[in-house]
Amino acid sequence: MIDVKDLTKSFGGHMVLKGISEHIYPGDKVVIIGPSGSGKSTFLRSLNLLEEPTSGTITFDGVEITDPKTDIDQVRRKMGMVFQHFNLFPNMTIRRNITLAPVRTGLMKQEEADETALQLLRRVGLEEKADAYPNQLSGGQKQRIAIVRALAMNPEVMLFDEPTSALDPEMVGEVLSVMKELAADGMTMVVVTHEMGFAREVGNRVLFMDDGKILEQGAPSEIFGNPQNPRLKDFLSKVL
Amino acid sequence: MEQYEAWKALLRSGTDLPFWQEFYVKFYQAFIEKDRWLQYLEGVGTTLLVTAMALALGIALGVLVAIVRTAHDQQRPGKKNAVLGVLNGICKVYVTVIRGTPMMVQLLIMGMVIFSSSRNFTAVGALTLGINSGAYVAEIIRGGLMALDPGQAEAGRSLGLGYIDTMRFIVIPQAFKAILPSLGNEFIILLKDTSLITVIGGKELVYAAQGIYGRTYEQMYPLIGIACIYLVLVILFSWLLSILERRLRQSDRR
Repeated sequence: MIDVKDLTKSFGGHMVLKGISEHIYPGDKVVIIGPSGSGKSTFLRSLNLLEEPTSGTITFDGVEITDPKTDIDQVRRKMGMVFQHFNLFPNMTIRRNITLAPVRTGLMKQEEADETALQLLRRVGLEEKADAYPNQLSGGQKQRIAIVRALAMNPEVMLFDEPTSALDPEMVGEVLSVMKELAADGMTMVVVTHEMGFAREVGNRVLFMDDGKILEQGAPSEIFGNPQNPRLKDFLSKVL
Repeated sequence: MEQYEAWKALLRSGTDLPFWQEFYVKFYQAFIEKDRWLQYLEGVGTTLLVTAMALALGIALGVLVAIVRTAHDQQRPGKKNAVLGVLNGICKVYVTVIRGTPMMVQLLIMGMVIFSSSRNFTAVGALTLGINSGAYVAEIIRGGLMALDPGQAEAGRSLGLGYIDTMRFIVIPQAFKAILPSLGNEFIILLKDTSLITVIGGKELVYAAQGIYGRTYEQMYPLIGIACIYLVLVILFSWLLSILERRLRQSDRR
């Protein structure tokens, strides 16, 4: 589904990604872990070209999205993204936050989008917040809305960039449970997170990144039960 | 009227009148005699007209320059657009020259050099003020666009919205709300700066006052009078702006 070849990324003279090749299959739940500064967020953000790779190629559904001639807006419509800081639009109601993109991109009519929004909101238990503004919500509620906003575009894959890192501890659970449901529904997901419990429970593949490279990957049971790379062992000893 | 003539004659002959009688005479002279209030009213009209025209031009120029400059600065490194580069250069020169020279000098150059044959002082004045204001408005708007969390634009783009839609629905409305106080400030400065167009012959409030004290040789009343008129205008517009601000703050309810 997403094929990444020899991806590198430099900011100025500083090389953040040092050659990553990876394939993400339909239905995959890939969890990326690693110390801060390891390049895992940059890697995730490269997948929908929020970061422009310095070299290498990314192919999504047979379309090479790193080709400058590709209409990146078309590609992004099929890739939902959830951010650490929610990035809801504070100048709009929740309903409009969710329906803006489907309507403006011509995916749905306004009534259709409203209906979809309501259904999705019901799914995360926030239907009564449709006419509220983002600033009136808690962090956990905002992040659930952000997930709904991305889902309203009917994406084929969802990218999560540390979705629980900015939340108060008691709100982490409500967001994770929405993500677990999504995984159970068969959504293809790529998740950067520090929630090792989530990685173990939901991921079918865990990638350990450090220093701009994928150092080890495998099923959660292997990564957590039988780590090989010394840096992974060291990392796990600190976070578990 | 008769009272005025009588007291005026006394004043002329050097008699010391009580304060309120002297006030009455001079006030009458400055504002009422020969329907002089009409001249002030005309002045206010010109002042407002010049302000409105300059404001429209200033905002149009400011938005244009700000968008060119931010679009240029936000390009991905290594993929600079040559046309945008040239436009950005022009915008930079414009902002530098306008901000680097006094408004009075700009007015004199426009009125006496570039448009020296034009008799339409109001239009030349409005044009100059608009061009001047545009440079400041551009920097205000640019500041507003850059101050917004880049995550907002990223969220818009990640949903598949194009650059234009992201700007139109997400970035600009939020930036506008943030810069409204500075824009209001700029608007008030503009309103008061219209007084400068007198130097090229614009017939606004200061011109009216000068004309009147040129005849009566009594400067205090006309000058204090127009000061009060400016003050009232500014207070009025500040009040309108605060209403607009309050309306835009709707989404901040918690």
